[in-house]
Amino acid sequence: MRPKARAILRPLAPSTYLLRNAGKTIPLTGVIMLAVMLVSSIIAMIDSIPYSIRVIYGYSKEMMGLTPRGDTYQTPKILADISKNSPVPIGREMIIRASSSQVRSIVGKWPFVMVGLKQDDFAYYLARQNSKGIEGRLPKAGAPEAVVSKPVAKNLSLKIGSVIQGPDLNESYSPQEVKVVGIADTDRWLMVNSIEYQRANHFPPMDLGMVFAKNRADQDKLDHWANKHFKRQRAQVWAYYKVEQQTQDMFKTLFQILNVVVAVLAVVITFMMGMLMNIYQTQRLVEFGLLQAIGYTKRQLVRRVMMESIAVVILGWVFGVVMSYGMLVVAKKVLMDPNAYALDLFDQRAFNYTVPIPFAILLCAIGTVYFRFLKFDPVSVVERRLV
Amino acid sequence: MIQATGATLEYSDQGRPVFACQNIDLQVSSGQYVGILGPSGSGKSSLLYLLSGLKLPTSGEVLYNGQNLKEMHEDARSRLRLKEFGFVFQQPYLLGYLSALENVLVATPKNNNPRKALALLEDLGLGHKSHRLPHELSGGERQRVCVARALIAEPNVIFADEPTAALDHRNGVAVVELLNRLRGGGSLVIVTHDPTMLTEADRVIRIVEGAIQRTDAVDRGVAV
Repeated sequence: MRPKARAILRPLAPSTYLLRNAGKTIPLTGVIMLAVMLVSSIIAMIDSIPYSIRVIYGYSKEMMGLTPRGDTYQTPKILADISKNSPVPIGREMIIRASSSQVRSIVGKWPFVMVGLKQDDFAYYLARQNSKGIEGRLPKAGAPEAVVSKPVAKNLSLKIGSVIQGPDLNESYSPQEVKVVGIADTDRWLMVNSIEYQRANHFPPMDLGMVFAKNRADQDKLDHWANKHFKRQRAQVWAYYKVEQQTQDMFKTLFQILNVVVAVLAVVITFMMGMLMNIYQTQRLVEFGLLQAIGYTKRQLVRRVMMESIAVVILGWVFGVVMSYGMLVVAKKVLMDPNAYALDLFDQRAFNYTVPIPFAILLCAIGTVYFRFLKFDPVSVVERRLV
Repeated sequence: MIQATGATLEYSDQGRPVFACQNIDLQVSSGQYVGILGPSGSGKSSLLYLLSGLKLPTSGEVLYNGQNLKEMHEDARSRLRLKEFGFVFQQPYLLGYLSALENVLVATPKNNNPRKALALLEDLGLGHKSHRLPHELSGGERQRVCVARALIAEPNVIFADEPTAALDHRNGVAVVELLNRLRGGGSLVIVTHDPTMLTEADRVIRIVEGAIQRTDAVDRGVAV
């Protein structure tokens, strides 16, 4: 019986070599995968620090804080000025008080603000912070009671009845034990109690202002306008864009150092991969010599190596990104979430950092083969001088 | 078809000029079977590389169908080898990750015909082993796969450089006979040091120290 002519039609397709030489291609892919995973994980974890700051202070996206300077009684005047001159419609202006508290972050304790509100401002404030409801109740006027949001409760392991400020808590001091009476259902980090309690128990004796743009989309415009409007005036503006700026400034040096570390890492990995690729291709000189001898051009062979290298590098990069994502999911679940620490699983910057590595490896691989081919004589192979 | 005129291949060995081939005048006509005979190191393989464009003469010229191989672009010479020539080398080099059938197909990248490749392997007695990898074949079988690879594109000239070197005498004779039988209308140039392999040759060229010493023409009804 005549045997069936089963054979792949393109025996020199890059996929054929890669699939049939898994023992060689898997380690190469694995090294690239590990390199990508290492870089993206490091960056994502370090990025989680500024990301945490943005998440923890994310409540300030919804409003602008105002503190008087040099005159503690300026706040009503400041608010009146905004009402009169604001370039965007104002949703609400509030007189508030603030006292210091703390939350835990991946790099230690961070200062946080307990906002003292008037009774008729609670509902508006919580609604603007996307609260879908509240477990428990709102604080009573003048009572040592507070509402926290879910992330804060998780972060500080608070339940209804837990003490959030008190005489024994040095960094969250209050003369009386302030107990949690409600937990707001929102992703925002919040601590609120009554303005009357704060006026009676906290220093400094100074009312502050809080202004909400009527439309959320206008808040940033209002913030920038106010900052410009009150420049050199007796008012200080607190806005989310300033948090962003300060965070960037704070981590600028750290990220410069990180850039150098990642660059060194990329060079080391590329050099290592270049040597690996060199060994890998050297083992194939007989194949290249034979193909060149029977009539394949150098260009065809370089193109083939290039396609194979691209496939290996893309596979390594994709697996690296997937593995990195998997590792971050585990880290978030095991390490971050129980403490409500923030970690961005889709950190664009972390993945951007991994892009130069496959390109550098690819260039190194193709360069190695190209320079080998420049002086490569297939006769040296078929005459067995290179075997 | 192939015309070498004053073809010389010179290289330097520690500053001393060495002539692998000297002043070779040779013509290989269409359909002709030419044997190149000589002792080891006599330059017979170098002559084959010159005739096939794998090496270029340092002086003189080699023409294929009127085209000077030296004046052709390297890529054009490569394409010429792939389309017009077939090669069988001393060692039965095959790509280890491809089956016998796929190794044959390597020589026809743009006109793949697995049925034709299989038919060739059957003619060579390897039909039942067409899907085996090279390490699953004996040395003689591997060399027969190389023969199939050289024949698949129906080349105008087949160059065989000591194709029997890695085989025992019986297998060697079989491979040479197969090349001669299956070459169709193509020319065949075989380099060997064993005169018993060339009993069917139209011409036998004896080469010593890079120069043609003698040409024995055998009249088999083809141009000599």
